[in-house]
Amino acid sequence: MSFGEMFLSGLSAVFSGGHFLMVLLAIVLGTIFGALPGVSATMAVALGLTFTYTMSPVPAIVFLVAIYCSSITGGSITAILFKIPGVPSSAPTTFDGYPMAKEGKAGKALGVALFCSAIGGLFSAIVMFAMSSPLSKAALAFGQGDLFAITFLGLSILTVLDMDHILTTIISGLLGLLLACIGQDPMAGVARLTFGNSQLLAGIEMIPVLIGLFAVTEVLKQTNAKKRLSAEDGVAGTKGRVNTKMPSLREMWSIKWVMLRCSIVGTIVGILPGAGATIASFMCYAMENKLSKYPEKFGTGIIDGIAASETANNAATGGAMVPLLTLGIPGGNAAAVMMSALALKGVQMGPLLLTKQPEFLSATFITMIITNILMVVVAMGIAKVFAQILAIPYSYLGPIILMLATIGSYSEGGFVGVQVMVLAGVLGVVVKYMHLNSAAIVLGLVLGGMCEEHFSRAYLMNRANVGKALFGTPIAAVVMTACILMLLSPLYMPWIKKLISRKKA
Amino acid sequence: MFELFANILLLVFMVFTFFTHVLEAKIPKSYTKNPYNLMPDVWPKVIIALIVICLTINIIKIIRKNKGNPEFTLKAFWKNSLNFFKSKMFLGMLILAGASFVIETLGFVVTTFLILFLYGLLLGEKKIWRLAIVSVVLALLLHIIFSGLLDVTLPRGTVPFLRNFALWLENLL
Repeated sequence: MSFGEMFLSGLSAVFSGGHFLMVLLAIVLGTIFGALPGVSATMAVALGLTFTYTMSPVPAIVFLVAIYCSSITGGSITAILFKIPGVPSSAPTTFDGYPMAKEGKAGKALGVALFCSAIGGLFSAIVMFAMSSPLSKAALAFGQGDLFAITFLGLSILTVLDMDHILTTIISGLLGLLLACIGQDPMAGVARLTFGNSQLLAGIEMIPVLIGLFAVTEVLKQTNAKKRLSAEDGVAGTKGRVNTKMPSLREMWSIKWVMLRCSIVGTIVGILPGAGATIASFMCYAMENKLSKYPEKFGTGIIDGIAASETANNAATGGAMVPLLTLGIPGGNAAAVMMSALALKGVQMGPLLLTKQPEFLSATFITMIITNILMVVVAMGIAKVFAQILAIPYSYLGPIILMLATIGSYSEGGFVGVQVMVLAGVLGVVVKYMHLNSAAIVLGLVLGGMCEEHFSRAYLMNRANVGKALFGTPIAAVVMTACILMLLSPLYMPWIKKLISRKKA
Repeated sequence: MFELFANILLLVFMVFTFFTHVLEAKIPKSYTKNPYNLMPDVWPKVIIALIVICLTINIIKIIRKNKGNPEFTLKAFWKNSLNFFKSKMFLGMLILAGASFVIETLGFVVTTFLILFLYGLLLGEKKIWRLAIVSVVLALLLHIIFSGLLDVTLPRGTVPFLRNFALWLENLL
């Protein structure tokens, strides 16, 4: 399929039937969800699932992608007006956004945030479109050992990303892998780890677990929260609403390199499985602080800080879609939810998908382009009436979130699905108290089946030679070596750090 | 202390699972005939073994980290546990657990009303009549929107009059 045909196919997927209205609804929902503290982007996508059960696969991914992109942007509204990030990836936006708002420049801060979000999102959408087809074609030539190594890489990267809690991250990833073993094994069909429960023979219901972990756990945590947000908590004079002022051409020009650098870094971080928007925004904020000619001004209310954070977190959205569409490996929690939603509809993500059904890529691309443009207008509108949205008490919002979660879980798993959702929600709280990493559990759960299947086939093809199965091809050897280095990093990193500090001294 | 106990419990559970529940049926002979096939118990057993090793290290780390911490005592643990069972979060868990079991019998509309109303009270809503009315309206609206408009099948309940009511609602659109 040529570029023109792909483009047209994407346009027809988004604009045919009532799809465009659906995208618009998704943008509004996503921006509101993103702006509300306590509703993360992943939770927004998980709740969005509820609306997609009767949709065919392409409109479903269009809807979820629109919610995902706009929820990341929505988070900047509360970050600027209340110093409380609506989504975790907007946390660095508070560093400069809130001081600007306190100086009476809330409208300008929001304008910069929205403009840079759009630039980051558009950049990553184009990169995703350009990279996905060649990457999926290259992936078709991968052997089972290569595929295992790449899937395993997704899990290993997590340990490096959370250097302070490497051990608990490894335990979490392993628990996810073990959960994925429940049910019949993929090769011989023998029941494992079901504890005699026949309903577990088909494996763990993925959607109720994800909804439980991301939506129910969050509401349960909020149940104990003492204080609720209201318009009066915002910057004096704004009362929780603001008239957005777009940056002038001169201001845009002054942050051009910030936007370019953060778009590139944000997209790359988004591609890494498990990394995502939050790491991208923190990383880029720190990077721009170091590269800036006036680092002392960072944190006092300058547009460069907002630009770094907001460009990066939106750039990560397109990046996260690359491994999902090309290799079937989710780039983050929200992508894992999308993958489960499509698996439910019988769509197998992976290299074959884009070769056989390129409309998935074109529809995702066009949706990201449209969403990143329209969300600016929608967010401007929402910022104006944000006080009214905040006026919805959590005593109504929380239970509504729970009911949407219940509908989503029931539609996929029936009554057992609802029970699994509640159990996953409670376990999510336990996981928090045990300081485990829920993102690693989810990634392990989503990738576990694939990991085992690829390894079993590589083992069989290499006549039970584990060494050959793991390191038999150049790609597998390089990737597996990288995985081992990452997993063993707790052993040698303290030694390297000591060495560096000695040299400095 | 909770973290320590949870890790120990998980460790014990993992050891128990390793020896009793990894394989729950016989492997077909046709599969075992091929010596190059990876046996179905190998992968989960390797994972469990790694979890056990990591949990053991983690338990040692937790004990070392909390040496001399006045909160790291059994007395403090019981006190915190008692506080947890009195907390709103625990009540919220009970409401949800209860709802997940009654939804089959009572159906979506009544269960939604119960969750919206009870959880709303738990979250501190003072205006009880307003909450009750909003809960009824939202329960009906959600059922009509998802069942009637979006064609999502929702539980109608096994109690005859509730089932008939749900069917009537679905036919409104």
